[in-house]
Amino acid sequence: MVHTQDKKSLLGQGIVIFIYLAVLTGLEFFVAISFNSVPLLVVVALVKAGLVLYYYMHVYKLNLESEHDDESYDYKAGTNRLGLWLFLVSDSFVFGGLMIMRINLLGLSRPELNQLLGLGVTAVLLISSFFMNRGETLIHNGDRRGFLLNTAVTFLLGLGFLLGVVLVEWRLAIEEGLTASSGPAGAAFFMMTGMHAFHVFTGLILLAIVWINGRRGLYDVKNYPVEAAAVYWHFVDVVWIFFYPALYLIGTAVH
Amino acid sequence: MRNTNPIWKGLLLLVVGGVVGYGIGLGLDLLVSRSLNFNGSVASAFALLVAVTAFFFGLYGYHGITRGLAFQVVGTLLGGFFVSGIRALVGSDIIFGTFFFSEPAWVFGALVGVLAFLFGVGVVSDWMKWARGIDTPEHHEDEPGWQKYFGVSLDHKVIGIQYTVTALVLIAIGGSFALIFRTELAQSQLQFLTTTFKLFNQTGPQFYNTLMSLHGIIMIISILLGISGMMNYAVPFLVGAHDMAFPRLNAFAYWIAVPASVLMLMSLVLGGFDTGWTGYPPLSARAPVGMQMFFLGVFTAGWSSILGSLNVIATVVRMRAKGMTAMRVPIFVWASIATSIIALTATQLIGLSFQLVMFQRLVGMPFFDAAKGGNPVLFQHLFWFYSHPAVYVFVLPGLGIISEFLPVFVRKPLFGYRWIAMSSLGIALVGFTVWAHHMFTSGMNEYLRVPFMYSTLLVAVPTGVKFFSWVATIWGGKITTPTPMLFVIGAIIVFLMGGLTGPPNAAIALDLHLHDTYWVVGHFHDTIFGGFVFPFFAAIYYWFPKATGRRMNEFWGKVHFWLMTPSFFVLTLGMMVIGLRGMRRRIVDYDPALGFDFTHLLMTIGGFLIALSVLIFFINLFYSIKHGEKAEGNVWNSRSPEWQVPSPMPVHNYDVPFEVVGEPYDYGLADSKYIEFSPNGSKHIEFEPVPEVEKHH
Repeated sequence: MVHTQDKKSLLGQGIVIFIYLAVLTGLEFFVAISFNSVPLLVVVALVKAGLVLYYYMHVYKLNLESEHDDESYDYKAGTNRLGLWLFLVSDSFVFGGLMIMRINLLGLSRPELNQLLGLGVTAVLLISSFFMNRGETLIHNGDRRGFLLNTAVTFLLGLGFLLGVVLVEWRLAIEEGLTASSGPAGAAFFMMTGMHAFHVFTGLILLAIVWINGRRGLYDVKNYPVEAAAVYWHFVDVVWIFFYPALYLIGTAVH
Repeated sequence: MRNTNPIWKGLLLLVVGGVVGYGIGLGLDLLVSRSLNFNGSVASAFALLVAVTAFFFGLYGYHGITRGLAFQVVGTLLGGFFVSGIRALVGSDIIFGTFFFSEPAWVFGALVGVLAFLFGVGVVSDWMKWARGIDTPEHHEDEPGWQKYFGVSLDHKVIGIQYTVTALVLIAIGGSFALIFRTELAQSQLQFLTTTFKLFNQTGPQFYNTLMSLHGIIMIISILLGISGMMNYAVPFLVGAHDMAFPRLNAFAYWIAVPASVLMLMSLVLGGFDTGWTGYPPLSARAPVGMQMFFLGVFTAGWSSILGSLNVIATVVRMRAKGMTAMRVPIFVWASIATSIIALTATQLIGLSFQLVMFQRLVGMPFFDAAKGGNPVLFQHLFWFYSHPAVYVFVLPGLGIISEFLPVFVRKPLFGYRWIAMSSLGIALVGFTVWAHHMFTSGMNEYLRVPFMYSTLLVAVPTGVKFFSWVATIWGGKITTPTPMLFVIGAIIVFLMGGLTGPPNAAIALDLHLHDTYWVVGHFHDTIFGGFVFPFFAAIYYWFPKATGRRMNEFWGKVHFWLMTPSFFVLTLGMMVIGLRGMRRRIVDYDPALGFDFTHLLMTIGGFLIALSVLIFFINLFYSIKHGEKAEGNVWNSRSPEWQVPSPMPVHNYDVPFEVVGEPYDYGLADSKYIEFSPNGSKHIEFEPVPEVEKHH
């Protein structure tokens, strides 16, 4: 399936959206350290999530009309797309529940964490989303080599995020005395980052599968699996768009 | 060997496996604790696991469910030993616990066991192939005969029956637990569950608590499987699809419920748990290892519910027959959609709340530990955010069944189709806003009580819409009362009682007194029997000919109904009467001075009579599969598409696709047609239509 939309304009769109997201993330950080306004942080997070949902996850594709031939690949891909989005809706209730847990237990306080590292891993995940979008656009346009390159970069960045959180950030936190059993702040921090890291881990598995099979030319025509892996990967990013301010930026740090 | 009946072979191996497993368990326990513990948990756990596996081995051989269970046993052991080994390596003091493995080892082992089951049974093998880039055929053909029900099948009809049978097995287990503790309750004072009673490391009262808790959760899982059974079996027929949207996911959703049920039963022998099915911390943070098995079991079964409902929504959205617009969808399908919306989303919250307690127990994360800054009430919010809407998950399909069957048996159009369809969605949506009415006495902020009272009372509005529609549908109809219709009428009456006893609980001032009494237990059993059990039986009697080509015995069906209904009224009215007079729920004993002995005795008798009626149903069911009266046509003279083709249903449902050309429930109207098979190449058999005598005015 080759998109009618121009490949160049799609790639360009990906770059523009990435710049928006990067600027918004910088703004978010600035807002947090300078005047710590929770409503503003919520608004910025919602705008970022909206951008990713629309331009990177293509939520509008749910509305695509395909010819009503139940056996066609396009129609089946449409059904799979609906199934994936239903799953994401379901999954977002887990993260919503974690968010409610965090708000209930911590309110306007937050765990004391390394701000630079937080911003760093957030940037890494955001950049990985950008490369994922490029990879997906390229395979839709029949460019297998470009797809493989961009997906590999996504995978490495994602791995970097995972290791950054689990190996570096967790160890730093424990050294600072913030452990899973030290109090609600520690419990919320490890539970939320842990659940997110688990989703990053599964996303990495999907990326690896898509990369290996893509290398053998399996997705040159029937490329819905690439889209599915990409949408899942962006979903993990959307979750972090909310978890990052919730854990690092909102309120005042407690020990 | 070939001439042996597989069931006898299975039962023989059940006994042998039980003895062998018991021996293995005793031996392992002896190694660790250096004493023989004959009524202990470890030996019993092994006896249970090995016996069940051996039973299926005898019945079915080493594939499908047998392989899954064997994998689960081995996986649990490997996982347990893995964690124990690590603990030994890092020099932990506690390598083995009271129940052979330590608690983390049991949890990890159980998790590995569930995954191993899924691999063993073979439900993920297609996905594994896809991940390696190997294509698999779209449809697997099942072997003919009964064997296909014990292995992985992708056919929604087979999966629907698998769900239904598993639900019935669990109903029997959960019901037997109820009979045991009902017997203890028949008289005040402790009779046989005494403090000197000892089983699975539990005293009599502790064992009562475990049975009471397990009765709750096993029945809940069986209801979830039961509604999945009805939806899986009927939804693709009703919308004219050849299968569900995701057949492999469908099989996965069923099979993951089997290891979940095993975990539930393991909690019985691993020290049990005494929290009731709600599992509130701080009590659940201290209960024995059985608590963790309960949490994991619910978590695993939750995935069955989530993935099953995802499938139902996708099927209805994407696979409806031509011409089946939103307002021509059968009413049961609307109910399934409403149910699935709740199950898809809210289920995650019970999973999360249980996970948080699991982590609190394993790692010491103080989510709900008030002493360390946690908040126990938070658990209740997360828990009830699912567990209240869950009751709508239980009853909405049943209410859909009532609306679906009524027009068939009164030969009149369904009154207010649109209102019924929308009332299901209305109940589902309002259901998301009522959870804290379970917490009026929990110490949450008092100002929260009022909005939750009003939102709860609001549920009565869409539910009332359904009742008015049913009454108006019956009004002036030509009522016939074959068994399914009896159960539909029973459902309406019982659910009315359940519905009317609800608002008193919602009113804050009354609830402060009614909370935690038998009144609530009576109310709950009324809603669930009216909303699930009666319609579930109706659905089984109704669709049995579709599945087997034979019908169940009418006489014994009627005996089942006329025995069950009055006994049930004795049971729940008894509960409500003593509840109003102050009988506390969930307790093993009560003061003889309260004067409840006679009512309790009556209730116990009622309970046993219900069990007898269900036993009659089981015998009727199994007998009718082979010996029932042949019924290959349109048994109930229904307009629904599945009855326009011969029974049992062909493998891919409709050989010829149909188009919807009219309203679904215009019974008794001349010249009204619901569906039309496409004219070219029609292979289906025409049945002689039964003339409609009376017209609807």
